[in-house]
Amino acid sequence: MSTEAKQWLSRIQALKLPNRVHIINVCGGHERSIAQAGLRGLLPENIELIPGPGCPVCVCPEEDIYAAIQLALSEPVTLLAYGDLLRVPVNLPKGEPRTLMAARAEGADIRPVASPQEVLAIARDNPEKQHCFFMAGFETTTAPLAAMLAEGVPDNLSILLSARLTWPAVALLLNSDTPGFDALVAPGHVAAIMGAQQWSFVAQQHRVATAVAGFSSESLLAAFYSTLCQLLDGQPRLDNCYRDVVRDEGNLAAQRIIEQVLKVTDAHWRGIGVIANSGYTLRDGYMKHDARQRFSIVDDAQRHRAGLMPTGCDCTQVLLGKIYPNQCPLYGRSCTPRQPVGPCMISDEGACRIWWAAGVKS
Amino acid sequence: MCLAIPMQILSIDGTTARCSANGVEREVSLFLMQDRSLSMGDFVMVHVGYAIEQVQAIEAQRRWQLFDEMDRSADA
Ligand code: SF4
Repeated sequence: MSTEAKQWLSRIQALKLPNRVHIINVCGGHERSIAQAGLRGLLPENIELIPGPGCPVCVCPEEDIYAAIQLALSEPVTLLAYGDLLRVPVNLPKGEPRTLMAARAEGADIRPVASPQEVLAIARDNPEKQHCFFMAGFETTTAPLAAMLAEGVPDNLSILLSARLTWPAVALLLNSDTPGFDALVAPGHVAAIMGAQQWSFVAQQHRVATAVAGFSSESLLAAFYSTLCQLLDGQPRLDNCYRDVVRDEGNLAAQRIIEQVLKVTDAHWRGIGVIANSGYTLRDGYMKHDARQRFSIVDDAQRHRAGLMPTGCDCTQVLLGKIYPNQCPLYGRSCTPRQPVGPCMISDEGACRIWWAAGVKS
Repeated sequence: MCLAIPMQILSIDGTTARCSANGVEREVSLFLMQDRSLSMGDFVMVHVGYAIEQVQAIEAQRRWQLFDEMDRSADA
């Protein structure tokens, strides 16, 4: 650990905290940094670090994954998606393909990709074939998608969009009877795009201490220290502990491009339900690239229900910050990265997988 | 998915830049960086092939260090 990180740690240790403090993060990257650096074990015992709704793949609606599977199986389409989405299961009887991977094993043309550029290259190299890019992600990942569309994509490419905004999930928790946290570490790269200011409502309206953090131990510990001081002073505010990257107003060009291409809508979060103004659809000018318009994607009304995590999986509670991953009865028993049950053990940003990778085995 | 890494700009051609991080070179889109005047030697935070924001060099160094540490723990 660097000297700077040690200094932040000793400052935190010197604080006299009268009560237990719960600090939530809403970003898989934050959770990974915390778990890998073992920050939980280093902080005073009365500080709890809670992983929250920081995994876009985990909240990707079951019906969207189902639609992608059906599309890939029934149409002559190449389906492209960021890797971890391919392994997330939908709830189907045994024998039917429950994941995109399983559909691929049945002959569907499904490929993992790592960037919009790769998507474009594949679509351009195969002009005679239809391609569908299935994308779940937060603002950081949505901005590049919007850029790709704004720059122009070939006619044989369409988008199945499950993009989500981060702040409405935090607002949902804050507006609930039991938010369960006293402080928020706001996501650094979402804030890089959307601006630190986007998080000021947390402190101003809800009096919850808030600090934007980067992904180093130094930045995270600085953010913890900041929120703890805010709580001790009784004056919650928004602090920015990632100034090298995040501006108050964010990346305005990126915001303009998102605004030009996408429209904010209500959206369904798997296991959680519909959250107002938390998703995106393509604007009219880009609608011809909407996979939902181009293909008669199976849209099973039955699937528009909240709470459809796999049977026995407590991902919803994990995502809402109500339990730690290892409090799920399946954690490390019937659910491991090798044989995952729920999306939180599948996605690289799922708290269950991150904890497992960091060595929490039970 | 929001994992992003800082890269240094080696050259710029329109809205594309050749960038490097720890010896690895990549093409990076600068399409989201229309409000920033970037030049050779500057650092940008790169996510899924797109620069999402300019970075101070100090933060870039720190992040590389972090990735090195993560690599080591992954190897262990
Ligand atoms: S351990 Fe597995 S089953 Fe339990 S919440 Fe995590 S992903 Fe779901």
